[in-house]
Amino acid sequence: MKNQNGNKWWRQAALIAAVLVVYIYAVQATQINLEEPLKPRRQENLIGLIRELAHPDLFAFENETRSTNISIRMPCPEEIKGSQVTAEGRVATLAPNCATTTQDLLQLSGEGFKPNGRIVVFWHPVGSTSVRRLTDTKADAEGKFVTQFTMPDIRETADPQRIEIVEVIDRRIIGLSDTSNEALQKIVETVLMALLASTFGTLLAIPLSFIAARNLMESIKVPLAATMLAIILTPVLAGGGWILVSRLTTPLVNTDSGVLLSIKDSFLTFGFVGNFIYVLLFFLFLLLLPLLAALVGLIVAVVLGNRYGQEAMMRMSDGTARGVTAVLTFLGSAILFLLIALFISWLNVLGVSQFLPETTTGRVQMLLLPAGVVGAVGAILSLRRDPKRPFAIGFIIYTLTRGIFNAIRSIEPIMMAFVFVVWVGLGPFAGIMALTLHSLADLGKLFSEEVENIAEGPLEAITATGANFVQQISYAVIPQIFRQYIAYIFYRWDINVRMSTIIGFVGGGGIGFVLQRNINQTLYTKASVMVIAIAIVVGVLDYLSAQIRDRII
Amino acid sequence: MLRVKNLTKVYEDGTVALDNVSFEVPDGQFVAIIGLSGSGKSTLLRCINRLIEPTSGEIWWNDVKLSHISGEELRRARRKIGMIFQHFNLVDRSSVLTNVLSGRLGYVNPIASILKRFPPEDIERAYANLERVGIRDKAHNRADELSGGQRQRVGIARALMQEPELILADEPVASLDPALAHSIMRHLQQINQEDNITVLCSLHFLDLVQQYSTRAIALNKGQLVFDGRPEEIDDERFAEIYGREAERIG
Ligand SMILES: Nc1ncnc2c1ncn2[C@@H]1O[C@H](COP(=O)(O)OP(=O)(O)OP(=O)(O)O)[C@@H](O)[C@H]1O
Ligand SMILES: [Mg+2]
Repeated sequence: MKNQNGNKWWRQAALIAAVLVVYIYAVQATQINLEEPLKPRRQENLIGLIRELAHPDLFAFENETRSTNISIRMPCPEEIKGSQVTAEGRVATLAPNCATTTQDLLQLSGEGFKPNGRIVVFWHPVGSTSVRRLTDTKADAEGKFVTQFTMPDIRETADPQRIEIVEVIDRRIIGLSDTSNEALQKIVETVLMALLASTFGTLLAIPLSFIAARNLMESIKVPLAATMLAIILTPVLAGGGWILVSRLTTPLVNTDSGVLLSIKDSFLTFGFVGNFIYVLLFFLFLLLLPLLAALVGLIVAVVLGNRYGQEAMMRMSDGTARGVTAVLTFLGSAILFLLIALFISWLNVLGVSQFLPETTTGRVQMLLLPAGVVGAVGAILSLRRDPKRPFAIGFIIYTLTRGIFNAIRSIEPIMMAFVFVVWVGLGPFAGIMALTLHSLADLGKLFSEEVENIAEGPLEAITATGANFVQQISYAVIPQIFRQYIAYIFYRWDINVRMSTIIGFVGGGGIGFVLQRNINQTLYTKASVMVIAIAIVVGVLDYLSAQIRDRII
Repeated sequence: MLRVKNLTKVYEDGTVALDNVSFEVPDGQFVAIIGLSGSGKSTLLRCINRLIEPTSGEIWWNDVKLSHISGEELRRARRKIGMIFQHFNLVDRSSVLTNVLSGRLGYVNPIASILKRFPPEDIERAYANLERVGIRDKAHNRADELSGGQRQRVGIARALMQEPELILADEPVASLDPALAHSIMRHLQQINQEDNITVLCSLHFLDLVQQYSTRAIALNKGQLVFDGRPEEIDDERFAEIYGREAERIG
């Protein structure tokens, strides 16, 4: 007893020590530094930044300007001094009043200026019609200011040159600033981006969520031979469907001689509706029709494999069934292996391609033997089971789909945006693609969990009537999940708006793109407007989506 | 004719729910399945229409080997087997009519049915079956607006839509009060007698068994311990079926 206690004590002490070590190391590894933020320069920078952020460039003002001129010498004479001018109660002092190099620091201070007024300092270089902006600052509540700057360029002249101190005094708001207008336009773009991504993601996620739901898929069992027949037929029928239809549609969407492209302009005369129809048609011919053909091919392969594979199995004697199963398993697993191996070598995972021939035919030839071995192993394994017993293919499909969802979900949308920017170029379209992919995986998982949570009873009852898979879904599942799906769509829209602001940072369009540009150019009063716009929209959408969810569920 | 041969079901956790059960049911019988809770009644019924996979043994419906078919063939067999559940298993958010029509899903064009389109004669049949169980006026209510007894009638109407040759009823009246229980049992009896549909019905109360069934099959820990006429269940038999400690009530 005592011994045990002692044991515990040591273990706890060791645990505490270990945790302590982790934290001690963490402080160093994360470079926590409390001296740096205390430096005056840092503090000034911070205060300046916060002040600019607190002064968003929201409105356009009718303003009034007032100039005060002071002179500067370049280069400096022997005796360096300051100069001072006085005009209508304003006193401006420049010290020193000269510069020899672009490193020389000059300090400009003033008194008696308009309290809280904006002050911009310009230089009128000799021999140039343009003016150069040197710095800008703000007068304090007593009308005083101090600012420091260096000359961007040195123009040596005998006479002094002019420096103009312009006070900008805002009179009244005359509307929204350009920045606000841009923010408005971009936030609409962002919200629409998120809307499209959520819509596409949802449309794709709904059918996939059913095959990623364990309770629906687990009961799908067919004889192994039927499964293998479907696997053999799939590349032929689905691939064939895709190739056939895309052959037919390429003349329409070809980028240099496409029929659709040549009549694009006549579409565009109808404005954005025309553009919408054009995009829709392009999408239809480029992707949707070939995809549908592939899907039909897949379904036909599955149905044929399922129906005929199964009926044949039932009619055959046990011995024949075993033989047929072995042959089909051999072919099926060899083909599957070949397809996967070709895909991996195309992706060049871990640089495998360097060990393989260049051409596809070469690769197929080389992979034929390994494929044969895999097929043989599959066939031998298949001999060990009763060929007529159903094989749990549904569970395998469920596991794969779920796995893919989880893998995609774990990739940050910003990474996906990087990839899509490379493919479709900078702009909101890349953002939409990235968000669609992420929404698809995320909603697919959420939806399928929702399907798994339905009451089993009705599904059981509908299954017992002899309904097929799709009928089971539309009669027993959809009525039970409909509301939750709608709620999730709004929830996802809300998330997509947040994410699209981040995605803009890597060029995925939307307001994030502008925000990033403003930050890079240190235009913090503009950045502040973007931040406010994002906050408002996110807040509103958050509220709305919560409301809608409450209403629906 | 239903034939069950050496049927065994072992669940994944090792529970032996059915242990080498064999029996035959000629057409038109009303068979009560009795036994303690956990004796395997539900498992037996669900193995017949393959909502549960049997572990071994055979089940035949006429010349169809129910225990070994799958896919399309299984669906074709299932549509001739109606099922009625203790908890009704209606789709709560759908209308009564839709629930009843769903009994036709094994017959109708799959694409039309997904769009909720049914042939007019099926819709007529649905109304007729609702009429038969006495709730035609509830056709357009949502299923969850009905009382328990009414919900079970919807369940019966749904099974009738299948034009079944066999009805499996898993404790159809266990969630209902005694008066309603008798009314539901009478419906089943009527279906059995008028339409000559074989009924397999698990029941908890012996008085119901003796009043409505023509034959009783008893399970105890997954084994068939009695197969005979309900009247034959005397105190001795009762103790064998339900265990020595059990006391006969009702
Ligand atoms: N899915 C399952 N997994 C594991 N064991 C199960 C499962 N379903 C049922 N069983 C077990 O199998 C046995 C038989 O269950 P079954 O539901 O068939 O009994 P029952 O006679 O219908 O009981 P009740 O009268 O309570 O409905 C029980 O011991 C039960 O715990
Ligand atoms: Mg039960």
